[in-house]
Amino acid sequence: MDELVRSVVALNEKEVHALTDQLLGDGASPMVVLDAYRQGMVEVGRLFEKEEYFLPELIHAGELLRMAAEKIKPLLGKADGGGAKRGKAVIGTVEGDIHDIGKDIVILMLSVNGYDVVDLGVDVPIKKFVEAAEDFQPHVIGLSGFLTSTYDPMKFTIEALDDRGLRDGIKIMIGGGQMDNQICEYVGADAYGKDAIQAVTFCDQWLHGTR
Amino acid sequence: MSNVTDNQRLYQEREKRVHDAISLQKPDRVPIVTLTEFFFLRAAGITAAEGMYDYQKMSTAWKASMKRFNWDMAPLQHAIRPGPVMEMLGLKMLKWPGYNLGENQYYQYVEKEYMLEDEYDEFLRDPSDFIIRKVLPRYAEIFEPLQRVPSFVNWGAGYAILPLVGMFGSIPPIVEMMDSIKAVGQEYAKWNAVQSQLIDDLQNMGYPVLTRVLSVTAFDWISDFLRGMKGSMLDMRRQPDKLKAAVEILEPLTIQLPIMMAAITGTKRVYIPLHRGARGFMSDAQYAEFYWPGLKKLLVALIEAGLTPLPFFEGDYTPRLHYLAELPPGKIMAHFDSVDRQKFKEVLGDTLCFWGNVSAQLLCTGTPQQVKDEVKELIDLFADSGGLIVDASSTGPPPEAKPENVEAMTETVFEYGKY
Repeated sequence: MDELVRSVVALNEKEVHALTDQLLGDGASPMVVLDAYRQGMVEVGRLFEKEEYFLPELIHAGELLRMAAEKIKPLLGKADGGGAKRGKAVIGTVEGDIHDIGKDIVILMLSVNGYDVVDLGVDVPIKKFVEAAEDFQPHVIGLSGFLTSTYDPMKFTIEALDDRGLRDGIKIMIGGGQMDNQICEYVGADAYGKDAIQAVTFCDQWLHGTR
Repeated sequence: MSNVTDNQRLYQEREKRVHDAISLQKPDRVPIVTLTEFFFLRAAGITAAEGMYDYQKMSTAWKASMKRFNWDMAPLQHAIRPGPVMEMLGLKMLKWPGYNLGENQYYQYVEKEYMLEDEYDEFLRDPSDFIIRKVLPRYAEIFEPLQRVPSFVNWGAGYAILPLVGMFGSIPPIVEMMDSIKAVGQEYAKWNAVQSQLIDDLQNMGYPVLTRVLSVTAFDWISDFLRGMKGSMLDMRRQPDKLKAAVEILEPLTIQLPIMMAAITGTKRVYIPLHRGARGFMSDAQYAEFYWPGLKKLLVALIEAGLTPLPFFEGDYTPRLHYLAELPPGKIMAHFDSVDRQKFKEVLGDTLCFWGNVSAQLLCTGTPQQVKDEVKELIDLFADSGGLIVDASSTGPPPEAKPENVEAMTETVFEYGKY
């Protein structure tokens, strides 16, 4: 299993597939195998933070995880819920913006780090964020936006949550190409993250006081 | 008429001012030139959709904003594309206001794999055939019939030309396609006539137009328009040789087309938006292997052809500055987004004219005083060298920029920017 984790981290695709098939063939628990991928991804995230890995490596790792999940999910029993979750998050790209790659990487990294994430997709109206907050009761909401046109939708989304009395119970983080700390202040969010790893760091700090 | 002479004089002054800054000689004042797009429409009180669908309204708005802000060159207006033409093409790779986006939202590219991961061999074997019969139908509904015709290479097999052209010219969907293309041309010509008149009007008002010519770098062509970002990044890892071969095929095209268009339009400046090379998008080694060679070839070739490249280095380009130091000095107007200005000055102060980078976030959410202070700081940094042209960090002030902030940016350049 350690070998599998190492291969995932090394992004050695051939070896990853060979080891996975071998382990599953030998009767290893599918859940444990999937978990090895997750561990590998967490390490990939650390390497990204240290600027040893970059976007191509994150994407490649995400792709390996996706392929594994496709292979393994059918083998999982109903009871394999994936263990206790570290927290709940709702993520979406706000109204008027259809960019999704960054958002998807944030969701990937939160998931592999044990968070239960709802993906609202792109061009998400304010109403939908509010509904998701009420229905799913997340600890964290992540607002993604690449364009400058997203500043006001983010602001209004946060105001709408406040109007509904939901703001105080939720931490809000923003991210995306034209975001920064100034925009974080402008829209009334709690944090701005420059990449997916920071998103995980914020959630860990807010919900578990650690990193 | 003294009015015409005044404007001609202003025109020459502005051209010289910008040219001096590019060649790293101190002009009389720091120039201000922006890449703004929909901000110019909003400042004149029309919506994004109006700008894309009512050609005369767009032209009137552009001139009104030009007069109001009085910058040294008229911004690029290529982004205000003709909506009717896009509808007639049945474009699938863009969404735009007035059609499938809201009235005041600006166009967005639909990120997708228009070339699939297993299609490199096809592309490399015959790029034209692949683009014509596979990619164009994916880009635009009008070209869907091309999926079902045999390769055009077959037209070059002697006698075969007869049945092939005969069939091509008689199959109803193809005939319809050709009629549609003709209609596209007619509508495009209408728009182009208004654009040409706008350019003449701006020049008569004393404003050189920044450019009329675009190009891209070969890696971005593949990453933006063919394989998509995810696809191209997986290719860097899974099929690097094929990716590099594809880049090499496209390199000459990125050079030849702008040279041709520059000659046709009588423009010397070529705008090159760059998307994928910045910090985080790839490692230094990947930049050196996949990205820099094609970009360097493009910039150097345009300079050798007597043209001035206007590359926009989107993102944080601080880690790549040492590559840019390889470029011929005093020939490039280099637009920066977020970059360490001090580091730029150290590494590239004697090579590139720095174009930018007043914070777009500040222009949208800050105060006029904050903007004034930021612009002064920027001007001070380059006061000794002369190689500065002011713009926002993004493609010009964004549509959400507060007009009073843009005015503050402009005023500060005029008042504080004299050498």
